[in-house]
Amino acid sequence: MLEFQNVSFTYPGAEAPIMENLSFSVEAGSFVSIIGASGSGKSTLFRLLNSLEELQEGTITVNGRDIRSLSHYTSYMPQQDLLFPWRTVEKNVMLPMQVQKVPKEERKRVAAQMLAKVGLTDWANSYPRELSGGMRQRVSFARTLCAGSDLLLLDEPFSALDSITRISLQEWLREQWESLDKTILFITHDVEEAIFLSEKILVLTGSPVTGLKEFTVPLPGKRTREMLLQGEIQQLKETLVELLRSEAAE
Amino acid sequence: MRGRKQLKPLLRKALGIGFGVFLLLLWQLIAVAIGKSFILPKPVEVLGHIIENENELFMVHLPATMQVVAVGGLLAVILGFLLATAMDWDHRLEKALYPLLTVTQTIPTICIAPVFVLWFGYTVKMRIIVVVLVNFFSVTVNVFDGFRATSAGRMELMQTYGAGRLQQFLLLRLPTALPSFFTALRIAVPWSVVGATVAEWLGAPDGLGTYSRSCMMNLDAAGLLAPLLILTGCALILNGLLKWIEKRVITWQGEA
Repeated sequence: MLEFQNVSFTYPGAEAPIMENLSFSVEAGSFVSIIGASGSGKSTLFRLLNSLEELQEGTITVNGRDIRSLSHYTSYMPQQDLLFPWRTVEKNVMLPMQVQKVPKEERKRVAAQMLAKVGLTDWANSYPRELSGGMRQRVSFARTLCAGSDLLLLDEPFSALDSITRISLQEWLREQWESLDKTILFITHDVEEAIFLSEKILVLTGSPVTGLKEFTVPLPGKRTREMLLQGEIQQLKETLVELLRSEAAE
Repeated sequence: MRGRKQLKPLLRKALGIGFGVFLLLLWQLIAVAIGKSFILPKPVEVLGHIIENENELFMVHLPATMQVVAVGGLLAVILGFLLATAMDWDHRLEKALYPLLTVTQTIPTICIAPVFVLWFGYTVKMRIIVVVLVNFFSVTVNVFDGFRATSAGRMELMQTYGAGRLQQFLLLRLPTALPSFFTALRIAVPWSVVGATVAEWLGAPDGLGTYSRSCMMNLDAAGLLAPLLILTGCALILNGLLKWIEKRVITWQGEA
């Protein structure tokens, strides 16, 4: 689905590169979390993948095609919801389709479907200011789905929420992913969130980043929060925390 | 709670009107104390002058001034908007135009306006140009700043959707700049009135500025102030109308 091959990148004006010869791949239909210490380059990965930064060395391919020859090949959900306050919930959800010039009737039909999926059908004609933080993130997720790509990039989407909303949205996102045929790449700095949500966890290591350490989460597809208390999971959590701590200290 | 919420704007309005009445009373008291109406007429004398000459003031001079205010103001808004859009679209244009625009504002209107009299004579065209000159800079700067207030995050989000520059402009930058556009309009209204009056003072066959000037020649202070009172009233009504429209259009004011 997604492949980074020998990618090196230095921010303009920076002395040292942030990543060097980085290679990794993500299978189609998987839920993969990327974790790393602050400033380790997690967001840079998404910026490169979204072509918001120009690739300097190496190649990134999605479904075997170089991203430089593609347009709107990802569905991106940013950290903040970034809803447009002058648009209703429905019109916010329709935005990516409007950009892609999907006919109006089709836009309305798909937006209604997505709003039903995130449980906000009754809020279609409301404005973002009328919604709670959790509801706004669900609208943002519906809008991400409407971007139409099979590769979803979620950049710490729950980091600004309170812990109760965050936990319920994590469970909700897991359910959504099970019902969707999508690949999710999820950035987080929360180890427990990464374990609960994903099949695989990639940890950014080194400065500059030269590789990703891969961990498989030993949990079934249908999972509950209680499973996080299992000894095997606790051990994985400790390993990951220790790894992040040593990376941050370097 | 709801009743108290509704009371607040009412109280604010009452305070505004009360302060206006207080100023009029103060004016009346000072005028009585001076006792010379050719120096400072009483507000009732100014009001009396307006009633006495209502036909001439409201049927001849007010429409002439308002015509210049409307056309000049509209042209200034269109020109300012287009300049701001051009500078936002191409940063080389911003670098080239912005210093020039600033220079146009360093020359006092009252000094440059006689040049327009030389070029265009005492015509409506000359007065409209003065109004445009007085106004277009603030419109340009406000709208340009409005475009610049566009969130970088939203711009990047639009890029990930594959939005081109025109789509980014129409769907994101333009709505973001709308509150600033309304601010520009509210600044433009009183300044258009000022610009039109200044141009009429320089010389025009009709208009409230012309009327005011002719009254000054006759040492008729009440007649001099009557047009100013009418113009102030007009500017307040127009601004109120704009505020009313703005409140209905910009429902997201202050939201990130």
